[in-house]
Amino acid sequence: MQYKSIKKEEWDNTLENLLLSYAIFAGIPNDASQDYEELRAVDIPKIIYNKPKPATSLKSFFLPVKENVTSENVVKERIIIGIPNCDIEALSILDEIYLDEDFPDINYRERRNNTILISTDCIGIQEHCHCLTYDIMPFSTNTADLAVIFLNGTMILRIITGKGEGFLSTVFPAAIALEDEDILSVIEKEHHATETLLSSANKGLPDYKKTGNLVSGANADMWKRHSARCVSCGACTTICPTCTCFLLIDKPGFEKVKQMDACQYPGFERVAGGGDGLFELPNRFRNRYMCKYVWKPGKFRSTACTGCGRCIEACIGKINKNEIFMELAK
Amino acid sequence: MVNGRNIYKPIMASLTDVIDESPLIKTFVLVPENGFSFKTGQFIELSVDGIGEAPFTPSSSPLITEKLEVTVMKTGYVTECMHKLKPGVFMGIRGPFGRGYPIESFYGKEVLILGGGCGLAPIRSLLYALEGIKDKLIKVTLCYGSKTPADCIYKPLFDRLNKTEKFEAFRTVDKADEGWDGSVGVVTTLLNRIKYDITKSIAVVCGPPIMMKFGTIRLLEMGYKDEQIYLSMEKNMSCGLGKCGHCMMGEFFVCKDGPVFTYNELKNTPDIWK
Amino acid sequence: MKLTAEDLKKISFFEGYTDKQLNTLTRISTIREFKVKEILFEQYDVLSEAAVLFEGKLSLGISLAKEKRIHLGTVEEGQLFSWSAVFSPHISTAWVMAITPAKVISINAEELNKEFVMDCDFGFKTMSKIAQTLSHRLSDTRFQLMNQLNI
Repeated sequence: MQYKSIKKEEWDNTLENLLLSYAIFAGIPNDASQDYEELRAVDIPKIIYNKPKPATSLKSFFLPVKENVTSENVVKERIIIGIPNCDIEALSILDEIYLDEDFPDINYRERRNNTILISTDCIGIQEHCHCLTYDIMPFSTNTADLAVIFLNGTMILRIITGKGEGFLSTVFPAAIALEDEDILSVIEKEHHATETLLSSANKGLPDYKKTGNLVSGANADMWKRHSARCVSCGACTTICPTCTCFLLIDKPGFEKVKQMDACQYPGFERVAGGGDGLFELPNRFRNRYMCKYVWKPGKFRSTACTGCGRCIEACIGKINKNEIFMELAK
Repeated sequence: MVNGRNIYKPIMASLTDVIDESPLIKTFVLVPENGFSFKTGQFIELSVDGIGEAPFTPSSSPLITEKLEVTVMKTGYVTECMHKLKPGVFMGIRGPFGRGYPIESFYGKEVLILGGGCGLAPIRSLLYALEGIKDKLIKVTLCYGSKTPADCIYKPLFDRLNKTEKFEAFRTVDKADEGWDGSVGVVTTLLNRIKYDITKSIAVVCGPPIMMKFGTIRLLEMGYKDEQIYLSMEKNMSCGLGKCGHCMMGEFFVCKDGPVFTYNELKNTPDIWK
Repeated sequence: MKLTAEDLKKISFFEGYTDKQLNTLTRISTIREFKVKEILFEQYDVLSEAAVLFEGKLSLGISLAKEKRIHLGTVEEGQLFSWSAVFSPHISTAWVMAITPAKVISINAEELNKEFVMDCDFGFKTMSKIAQTLSHRLSDTRFQLMNQLNI
């Protein structure tokens, strides 16, 4: 892979100039940890690099919580910086669903086309990170346009897509090719260190395929027990980078509003005649796991869980899916 | 500027007639603004302005493109609003969606159709399509059951089919009333009297989930193989095009991978009859 | 109307019998005719004749109380009914009524049983056909149950 480097000062200055023509989003500190904000010039020095991860995923950048899908939606060109690879990988399944050949979602396509994705390599992990268990590396080598690592006052950029290369050479002409093996070796060491931390923190956690088998075979009693603290708040599905179920709501003038929905909300499968396959809470609870680990893998090439761990952090009932999987694996 | 067809935007269709089929069922005759074609077994998302949208399989012939007929049972909020509509208004149509009946693969076959309740609506469309290719078929047998005699829609259809070459139609009811002198019993009782060559036969089942369940069981008992049985599945739908997730049935999107499936495709999917 | 072996050959229920066996059947059978709404027999009646519907349509059901008939099924042309006559306790499990003018092939059950002893092949074939009829009825009843309970 090709690398370029640029001094941080130049990087920051260029970003400031880019604010005139792009909306720029990046992870910056907040009260809790960090999250994406639309940047003003003063925010640029606050951008967090190398450190996982923003509280929310990329999902709402491409699939707003609520949008009118029958009106013209103008999408400003934008750059998103500091995306962890788990969120980048999550885009793959979103692309498969929303950019399919038969019925491409033009609003989603427009947003994808108008966005430059700059991921950041994770040096270090957060408490519930487990991307590696699902064969997802803590750094990007595809889908993102560029990846950035902040090292010793320098921005190191991994060029991933042609779009990223074009963007870099046009907008950051001062970036120079990096061939220094020592620096590349440091980056590789940091990758290994992060991978070691991930392996250690997630010892015994079954991989994606095994998880699917375990979830398939779990009995009704298990689901009943683990769903006892669930209140169907839908925090897990809202925060999840790959959960994208929605409802189409009719408005006057045959307009349609697309609003995020979730199988965790009662009534998701209810038919007009009254039947509802997910009426019982344990069934609803189980549905999300079956969908993510058994059904979507049967249907799509891309993964439906990238191991970001946000569902574990978000759950108000303190339900930890990894603890459930470890119990099933025993 | 967003380019390309907007998959969420309906085309307009003028409601030209409303036919009362039964106290709870009406057929809407729609003329889409630009002509509309569908394959039998596919469905549309039909909307009432500002109220809501619901999926329906047209009950008219797929060979007619200037208009289509949709038979609607009053079951919930949207269908109740639909039932209040008068000719002259516009409705929205998105579609056609889904995988319909593969009628080309019915060539050279005996087609056995097992229908129940409102399932007769999509079956009527299939029958029209099969009439169009009847030279290529051995025969078509319709076995239909409704809860009571009054619940049967398209009553003239049965006499007409029995007078059509290569077609025969039988009816039964779960519960008879005073004037009923026809068969009584669930629809599978009609299968006891039909003659069929299992090696040349395919079966189509369409109706309420419970009827489809025991209909399939009966067909398997008769010797039909999993891949010879075609089912038209129903689920709560929203987008109709494989994105919103509401109609997922195991790994399948009923709206995109179906609604027509062979039993072979579904036999390992749990809870398909809920 | 005099029943002949040729008449029986037209009815699928009698497929597989030899000409000799068909002749036996014609010897021990009579054609009975019924008017619309005529009751052929009531639930709990002791039956002496097995029957195959030759023409018309019959309804079949159970009685919850005197005069309260629950119509549960239909006997179509070519179908066997009144099979309870063939074996003990010979008590009908349902009432049967003609809903159109009907012609029924009534087979003397006592004579049938005597023939079973003389011709085991005939006995086996006949009992197989009865078993098949009951199997279909059982299947249909199970589906009625599924339908009502929505399971």
